[in-house]
Amino acid sequence: MTEPQEHFIELAGTRLHYFTGGQGTPLVVLHSVEGNLGWRSHLEQLAQHYTVYAPTLPGFGRSERPLWLESFADLTRYTLWLVEALGLHKTALLGHGIGGWLAAEMAVVSPQLVERLILVDAAGVRPHQGEITDIFLHGHDASRRMAFFAPDKAPAYEEFFSGRKLPLEEREINVKNQETAIRYCWKPYMHDPVLPFLLPRVQAPTLIVWGKEDQIVPLECGSLYQQGLKNSRLAVIEQCGHYPQFEKTDEFIRLVREQ
Amino acid sequence: MFLMRFTERAYVAYSAEDVKKSFRSAVRLTFPNSHFNPALGADMYNEYLDEYEYSDAIGFDGLMLNEHHNTPTCMGATMNIEAAILARTTKKAKIVLLGNPLPIFDNPIRLAEELAEIDMISRGRLVSGFVRGTGVESWATNTNPVHNRERFQEAHDLVIKTWTTPGPFRWEGKHYHFRVVNPFERPLQQPHPPIWIPGVGSPETIVWCAQHHYPYVYLETDPQVTLDLMNLYASAAREVGYEPGPQNFGYLVRVHVQDTDAKAYEVGEGFLVGNAGVGRLPLPGDFMAPPGYNSREATKHLIEQYRHSARPDPLYGGVDAAGWDKVVESNRVIIGNPDTVVKKLRQVLTALRPGILGIWTNDGTISHKDTMRCLQLMDKEVLPALRDMGKELNLPGPFEQAP
Repeated sequence: MTEPQEHFIELAGTRLHYFTGGQGTPLVVLHSVEGNLGWRSHLEQLAQHYTVYAPTLPGFGRSERPLWLESFADLTRYTLWLVEALGLHKTALLGHGIGGWLAAEMAVVSPQLVERLILVDAAGVRPHQGEITDIFLHGHDASRRMAFFAPDKAPAYEEFFSGRKLPLEEREINVKNQETAIRYCWKPYMHDPVLPFLLPRVQAPTLIVWGKEDQIVPLECGSLYQQGLKNSRLAVIEQCGHYPQFEKTDEFIRLVREQ
Repeated sequence: MFLMRFTERAYVAYSAEDVKKSFRSAVRLTFPNSHFNPALGADMYNEYLDEYEYSDAIGFDGLMLNEHHNTPTCMGATMNIEAAILARTTKKAKIVLLGNPLPIFDNPIRLAEELAEIDMISRGRLVSGFVRGTGVESWATNTNPVHNRERFQEAHDLVIKTWTTPGPFRWEGKHYHFRVVNPFERPLQQPHPPIWIPGVGSPETIVWCAQHHYPYVYLETDPQVTLDLMNLYASAAREVGYEPGPQNFGYLVRVHVQDTDAKAYEVGEGFLVGNAGVGRLPLPGDFMAPPGYNSREATKHLIEQYRHSARPDPLYGGVDAAGWDKVVESNRVIIGNPDTVVKKLRQVLTALRPGILGIWTNDGTISHKDTMRCLQLMDKEVLPALRDMGKELNLPGPFEQAP
C-alpha cells in the first residue's frame, strides 16, 4: 500500500503539515527551499520500500512557524522534536538542499536517532573553492533554472519552476517559502561554519548523492561531506544538476535502494 | 510652513551601457564601483556641500539629507558625515536627516552618539529622521530583510531610551543586547531631537508614525495616493486621541527654477537620470523589496496603490512611455520661471496641505552652475512667495505647532 495520506500535527502550539505513505522501515524526507512539492514520483517509488514521512518544514507551505523559530539551529532542534512526535526513535533521514543540511545537523545533534543518512546536493558546508550560489541575489526564476542541468528537458522544471502563471494560492505559498528560506539561511549564507568539525560524530552509514553539474551547491561540498562523515560514500550522477530526484529519478532511486 | 532643500547627490559619470552590463542590469547594489572616479567625487561632495551652505544663507528652514548604499544615485552613503560638516559650517537651518536606516545598524548606541554630537555641534538644529531603508540597504549590509521592521522598531526604542533615560542601563532585546548603555554625551535638544519619518507609503509605518506623533514626509508620491495615505495617518491619529494638521505632514517634490520656462524645461529634464540612474533601467523588484522585507499587508497595499494610480511611476521604468511632458504636466516635477513655479506649487499646497515642503532642487545631470542659479532665483522670488502662501493657506510646520 503506497497510497499517501496528508496529516497535520500540532507541536508546541504550532500546526505542521506532512505526507506519509508506503510500508517498511521509516524514511523521513526533508525538502529544500522550494518547500514540499507534494507526493511526487520519487516519493511514490521510495514508498514501495519504506514508510515515507515527508513533512513540510515550519514556515513553508501549509505549515505554520512558531514565532520564536528564527535560525537554522532552531529549525534543527524543532525538527528533531517533530520526528520524535511522529513516534520515530530510529529512522533513516533523506534531505535535499537545505533539507540535506538539516539532516546533517540533526545527525550531529542526535546521532542515536539516525539509522541511515542520505544527503542529496546538500547545503551546509562551505566549499574551499568557489561559493554556494547566492540564489537570493540571483532571484527566484534565474536560480531555479540554474538548478537544472537541462531545464528544457526536465518535466519537473516546467511543472514547478518555469514562468507559468500560478494560481494565487500557489503564488502566495511561493512567496512564503522564499521568505522562510531567507529567514533561516541568510547569514551565514547556506552554511554552518561549525558543522564540518562536528560531522565525525556521525557513525550512521551515509550516502551522499550529487548532480555532477550542480550549479547551486558545488560538487566539492559533496566531497567535504564525504571527508567529514566516516561511514559515507559519494555517488555522482552525470548530466544532472541540483535536483537528482527530478532530473535523474531512476538513478536516484537505485542509489538509495542500493545503499 | 517649513521649507527644506534637498538633493540626492547623484553621480552620473557612467553610461546606460555600463548599467546594462552589470549583474541583473541594476544601477543599485551590483553596479560596479569601478565606474566611480574619486577625483570627480571629491569635487562633487564639495559642490554639494557648497549648495547646502548657500541654501542656509538664503533662508531655507531646513537642509534635508538622505542615505543610500551601493548606488551612484545617491552619494550620501554615510549621511551623518555630511550632517556633521553642515552642523559646523551653517548657521540657522535645521539639519534634517531623512533618514538614518535603523535596521542596518548593528550598534544603534553608536548612532545615538553620532546624532547627539551633531545636535550639540549645530547647537540644537538636528531633526533626526529614521527609515527602514530600501531592500538594497538590506542587501548591501547583509541585514536579513525579514527582520527589517523588527529591527527598525527595536533600534528606534533603544535610541530614544538612550537619549531620554539616565544611564547606565542594560538592554536585552531580540536583536540588540548591551550590558552598559551609558553614552556620556547627550543631545542638546531635550528630551531628544525631533523625529520625522519619510517614506513612500508603507501603511504600518504611517500608522506607527501617527501613534508616535511623528510627522510623516511623503517622498514624491503620486498626489492622489498621498491624500489616501494622509487619511490613513489621520484615522490612526484619531484612534489615539488627536486631530492631525499640516504640521503632521510633509511632501517632497522636485522643483527647479530658471530665468525662463524654456530654460527650466531643458535643464529640469536632468532630474530623470538622478533617482532612477542613467539609462533609467527598472531595478529588479527583489533588490528593492526582497522576500520578507514587506509584510503581506503592505505588499497588497502597494499593489492596490499601483493599481489606483493606473500607470507605472513616470520617473522609473515608465518614463520613456510617459514622456517628459507628462511628468511635467502631472506636477511630479515642477519647473519653470519663478512665477510659473509659484503658481504650480500653489496647486500642490492647496491639494495636499503639508506643513513641511521638501524642495528637491536638482539631481541627475543638472549642473552645479544651474543649481546655484536655481537657488538664487528661489532666494529672491520663490521662498518669500511660499512663506506668504503658507500663512494664507494656514499651513503651520512642526516648529510652529506641535505635531
